[in-house]
Amino acid sequence: MARLQRVSIYSSILILIYLLVLFEALPIPFIDASVAQEILPVIPWWLLVSFGSYSLWSLGWGVFTFRDCPEAYHELLQEINEAKNDLRSRAVTVD
Amino acid sequence: MNPFASPVSLNMQGQYNTPNTHKYSVILPTYNERKNLPIIIWLLAKVLEEHQLAWEIIIVDDASPDGTQEVAIELARAYGEDKILLKPRAGKLGLGTAYIHGLDFCTGDFVIIMDADFSHHPKFIPQFIRLQQAHNLDIVTGTRYRSTSTPYLSETQPGGVHGWDLKRKLVSRGANFLAATVLNPGVSDLTGSFRLYRLPVLRHIITLTQSRGYVFQMEMMVRARALGYTVGEVPITFVDRIFGESKLGADEVVGYAKGVWQLFKSV
Repeated sequence: MARLQRVSIYSSILILIYLLVLFEALPIPFIDASVAQEILPVIPWWLLVSFGSYSLWSLGWGVFTFRDCPEAYHELLQEINEAKNDLRSRAVTVD
Repeated sequence: MNPFASPVSLNMQGQYNTPNTHKYSVILPTYNERKNLPIIIWLLAKVLEEHQLAWEIIIVDDASPDGTQEVAIELARAYGEDKILLKPRAGKLGLGTAYIHGLDFCTGDFVIIMDADFSHHPKFIPQFIRLQQAHNLDIVTGTRYRSTSTPYLSETQPGGVHGWDLKRKLVSRGANFLAATVLNPGVSDLTGSFRLYRLPVLRHIITLTQSRGYVFQMEMMVRARALGYTVGEVPITFVDRIFGESKLGADEVVGYAKGVWQLFKSV
């Protein structure tokens, strides 16, 4: 089963349960009905905002911790020179 | 098959004081790499000989007009016809088919794929091999985004990139975030193409992949994870475009998003 189908099935089930609870077709145990009715309509927006802020944090942190490696560049240039000299002595055309 | 009875092992006995009896094939697809090819071969040969590994390099050249094949023949003469194999093709046929073509001539039991333009440095190959042997992994991939390897290996240095400005880094992180959220691949660098594969694993995955370009690299990794193969990561330093500027256009971004969506639908 492809990922798309798996994700669609899980999200359909969750959305169905959410809608049933929202329209009071299904009761939630241990929570007051009035409290539930205040919280439930807000849940989708809460999910959206949470995902948005997580994404922003993730991108920002990722860019902040992105390492530069100038030493690798300089080392590579030196090795290229070394290689060229060695290869000329082995009868390989470089340049 | 008993690894101690393989031809490589029997030939190596008495020559090398090493427990590693595997042979490592490097597949290098080239197009117009006349200047870079000798140097990358020199670097590869130096690293692999230093670590006393049985190796071979298969150069798959797509009919380069600049004389890449002549240089490859000179290198084969310098290093040995059994070590440097030139397997040319008739035209520019793409990366995936280049690997398939190269795989036909592999005599090793591990395959390393990498770019021939100095963005991937051969010095990381021993670290890949060490990690693979320590945890019996099927695939080891290089990652530019991590500082430590997964699973942990003590001799690794932090990864990084040289030659990218802030915008490029942001695009790269954004693309990776998108792919990670949609596909959950379990690797930090999905578009990287510096990898070590077990030969049968590469053969299996490559018959299943359908996309082209760098989405091809992504698809191989995602399919490998879906099939249950074990993957490890080693941080690498990536020197992008040692001669010139690195460019990323809007078309590529759209193409990338389409590729991720295709993978989402099919794997």
